[in-house]
Amino acid sequence: MLDIERDQRRFKEIVRGRIRGNLRKYITHGEMIGRKGRDIVSIPVPQLDVPRFKFGKNGSGGVGQGEGQVGDPIGKPGNDPGSGGGAGSDPGGGHFLEVEVSLDELAEMLGNELELPRIKPKGAASIEAEKTKYNSIRQTGPESLRHFRRTYLRALKRQISTGAYEIDEPRVIPVNADKLYRSWNDVPQPKVNAVVIYMMDVSGSMTDEQKEIVRTEAFWIDAWLGKQYRGIEKRYIIHDAAAKEVDEHTFYHTRESGGTRISSAYKAAAELIDQSFPVEDWNLYCFQFSDGDNWGDDNRKAFELLSEKLLPAVNLFCYGQVESPYGSGDFIDALEKQFDSHEKLVLSEIADKDAIYESIRTFLGKGK
Amino acid sequence: MSLSSLLLDELRACAGQSGKSLFVRDGQRSVRCEAVHCERFAATVDELVLETPELAAATIAQLEAASRDLASRVNYLLEPVAPIESDAAGCTVQMRSNPPQKDDNGWRYYELVLRRGGSVALARYERQPGQPRVRVPAALTHEVIGRLVNDFELTAASV
Repeated sequence: MLDIERDQRRFKEIVRGRIRGNLRKYITHGEMIGRKGRDIVSIPVPQLDVPRFKFGKNGSGGVGQGEGQVGDPIGKPGNDPGSGGGAGSDPGGGHFLEVEVSLDELAEMLGNELELPRIKPKGAASIEAEKTKYNSIRQTGPESLRHFRRTYLRALKRQISTGAYEIDEPRVIPVNADKLYRSWNDVPQPKVNAVVIYMMDVSGSMTDEQKEIVRTEAFWIDAWLGKQYRGIEKRYIIHDAAAKEVDEHTFYHTRESGGTRISSAYKAAAELIDQSFPVEDWNLYCFQFSDGDNWGDDNRKAFELLSEKLLPAVNLFCYGQVESPYGSGDFIDALEKQFDSHEKLVLSEIADKDAIYESIRTFLGKGK
Repeated sequence: MSLSSLLLDELRACAGQSGKSLFVRDGQRSVRCEAVHCERFAATVDELVLETPELAAATIAQLEAASRDLASRVNYLLEPVAPIESDAAGCTVQMRSNPPQKDDNGWRYYELVLRRGGSVALARYERQPGQPRVRVPAALTHEVIGRLVNDFELTAASV
C-alpha cells in the first residue's frame, strides 16, 4: 500500500473519531441537516489539527550541521533546558473543516452511539426486485453495445483459422458474423419494503422551535431506517383540526392557526396505508409529533383509530410530545393510560433540543 | 348598574377573604369570578368568565373576528394576547399571551377562550421547567377586572 493511501485512511479515521466524539452535539443541534446531499452529509468539524512541516532559521543547526560525530545519538526533545516545546497557548482562529460523510456511515455512528439494535423486518415481507446487469455477450444487439475487443478477437481467430491472416501484413477486418455485443440479465435482488409516515401537528401553538426539533429528530430517524431498509418510502401528513398529505418541504414549513384534532391525522394515515401500502408487503412506521394540546373530546376518536386501524398495521408507532412555550398538553398521559405499555407504541416527551438524543434512543431502541 | 360595577362591589365586600366564588347577573349576561383571595384594591382570580346567549349562534368566522377585536382591546395585562388556535368543529377560539412571559421560574401566560354558546373566559397558566403546566391565580387589580368585564361585554355585543 502506498504511504499516501495509508495516511489518507488514518486521516479519515481521525475525522470520524472527531465526529463520533461530537455526535451528541450534532444530533442535538441539527447543524448538518441543511448540508444534506443525496447520500452525503457535509459536517463542519472544528479544530482538526493537520500536521505540517515547520522550517527553522537558516544556519541555526539541524540535520547534518553543528558539532558531533557520525554515530552520536541525537538529543531527545525536552532534554535541552532552553528548548520550547509544549502546547501552544493560542486558542486558534476557530477554523472549521468541512468533512463529507455518507448517510450510511452517519447512521452506523448513531447506532453505535445509542446502542440501537438492528431492525428485524416483519415476517416474510421481502420482495424481490429485479436489477439489470450487463454481464453477458450475445451475437446480436445494437451497435452502441458492440464489444470492440471481443469482436476483433473473434475476427482474428476466424482469419487465422481460415488462413486469411497474414503475418507480414497484420490486418484484422471483422465481418458481421464476428460481431459480439454486450448483453444484460435481470438479476433478482432481495429488497425489503418500508414506509415511514410522519405526522406533525402544525396548529397555532406549535412554534418554529418545535418544528426544528421535529425536523432534527426526523433526520436521524430517516438516517437509521434508511440504513436498515433499502429504498425506504417517506410520507408526510400535517394537521391542525384537519389533516392532509404534503411534501417534505411543506411538512416542515407550514404553520396553521386551526385547533388540534389528532384524530384527523390518524384518519389520513389509516387511509394512506389502506390505499398504498398493503400491510402484508410493507414494514410500516409512524412517527407523530404534537404539543399534545388536543381539543375537545377528540382523544376518544383518536384512540379508536389508533387501536383499530394503525396499531394492528404498523411495526412501530412513535409519539413524540414536543413542549411548546405554552407547555405540554395531556395527550401523552391519556395515551399511556389508554394503551398501557402496548408493545408497538412508544412514547417520548421532548422538552427541548437536548432531549432529542434520548428520544431517538427511546423510539429506535426496540429494534422493530 | 353595569356588570363590572356589580362585580366590583362584590369584590370589595369580600376584602380580606379567601376562596370566594362570585356571581353577578345583568339581564342575559352574567359574570362568574373564582377569587382565590380578595384584597381592598385587587384580587387573585382563578377564572373570570362572562356567559351570554349572544354567542349562541356565532360562527367560527365571527368568533375569530371577535377574538381579534378583543386582542386589540385587552392591552393592559402583563403580556399582549393574540388568537392562537381556532377550532371550527367545536366553534371555539383560543387566545394566549403572545409571547408568554419567561423568566428563571419558567413560563406564564394568560389564556382567553371564546366559545359559541357562549362564553368568554380568562385564566392564567404557569409552566416550570420539566413540569406540566398548571393553572395559577391571576393577580388583577379591581380596575383591571372591571375593564376586562367591560371588554368581554363589548366583544360579545360585536358578534
